[in-house]
Amino acid sequence: MLAPLASFSQEDTTETTESDTLVYKQKYGLRVGADISKLVRSFVDDDYSGFELNADYRLTHQWYLAGEIGNEEKTTINDYLTTTAKGSYFKAGVDYNMYQNWLDMQNMIYFGFRLGVSTFSQNLDELTVYNSNPYWNNPISASNVSDSKGLTAIWGEIMIGIKAEVLNNLYMGLNVQLKGLVSQTEPGSFENLYIPGFGRTYDSGGFGIGFGYNISYSIPIYKKDKKIIKEKNEDE
Amino acid sequence: MTYFKYTLLVIAAISLLVFSCEKDDICAETTSTTPRVIITFYDVNNPEDLKEVDALSIQGIDTDGNVLEDLVEDSTTSLLYSTSDSIALPLNFNEEGITAVSRFRITKNTDYDSDDDDTTASNSDVIEITYTPEFIYVSRACGYKAIFEGTEVDRIEEDDDDLWIINVITENTTIENEDEAHIYIYH
Repeated sequence: MLAPLASFSQEDTTETTESDTLVYKQKYGLRVGADISKLVRSFVDDDYSGFELNADYRLTHQWYLAGEIGNEEKTTINDYLTTTAKGSYFKAGVDYNMYQNWLDMQNMIYFGFRLGVSTFSQNLDELTVYNSNPYWNNPISASNVSDSKGLTAIWGEIMIGIKAEVLNNLYMGLNVQLKGLVSQTEPGSFENLYIPGFGRTYDSGGFGIGFGYNISYSIPIYKKDKKIIKEKNEDE
Repeated sequence: MTYFKYTLLVIAAISLLVFSCEKDDICAETTSTTPRVIITFYDVNNPEDLKEVDALSIQGIDTDGNVLEDLVEDSTTSLLYSTSDSIALPLNFNEEGITAVSRFRITKNTDYDSDDDDTTASNSDVIEITYTPEFIYVSRACGYKAIFEGTEVDRIEEDDDDLWIINVITENTTIENEDEAHIYIYH
């Protein structure tokens, strides 16, 4: 009976007797935003349109629940193929803040982990048969070759990024993503050249890369103390 | 704040990768794409034995019957005037699934036309190859290739009383690659 009480009171004394303990209020809440780079690209790139909304919810001092939802349409053109991929995606996971903030600042340098799913269609708009012997001078093209609907893809993602509070509760963020395809359905006698949310695919394997440039607003829900003891050690 | 700077550098470096050019945007020459038809020449007297044709020259004949320019294998090895037991000819085609025809005028002893001996002359025969193209996906960079199904070959005899090609047969009705002969010509 006495033992827990004793330890409890001891804990209290250490806290109060520590002369250089500082307490800062940390805001906990829901942060919502959008990917600016996708909006800008939609304006400047005729072959692309897309948007992405993102949100994170602070769970603990360093862990955040995070997710993105978006829609993309991308036309991929080269000498022999013109394809359009179109669809929506959803990504969910966590962010881990590894940045030790000064005072009551709440900036982030973080690692993120996501699982992404996408449902999309891929239209083979045009093809030109590859022929390295053009003797007959008769290049063969075909248009509206196929339209594959109901395609899906699942991938995993690790990201590294920063989020900095530029105005009160307003954040700017930048991140890059490395993705690994887990599974995908492919159109018959063709392949997915672009997967909304995942980005372009590569011949060499199921890897992909992406980046985001976000602006987001944090809606504070409650505040919690952050105790800094001797400037370095944290009590959480 | 130095952490931020380093992280920004890492992000910038990875972003460069995103926009850089990848090798799978270029169709490698070694990729097996639309094949040519491979024809090998055999000795009509010893059908097992390959037999070279002297001073070959080959031209395609278009649908209007016009003889086109000489076929060259590629820029370094010319088919023209070469002595060979095997040739590779590009096929003409239009739509997928629609039977197409290529005609070739194959001439032996082309050099006889330019020598001083008036008693010798070259000899041209025409073969006609029919087939049905099918388009097959290769890769992002190469797109689609055509392969050819149901290949048949004929020798056109049209008022030619001096045929050097004795017989033509189709050895492989599917032309998928250039690894083996599709048509045998006996002479």
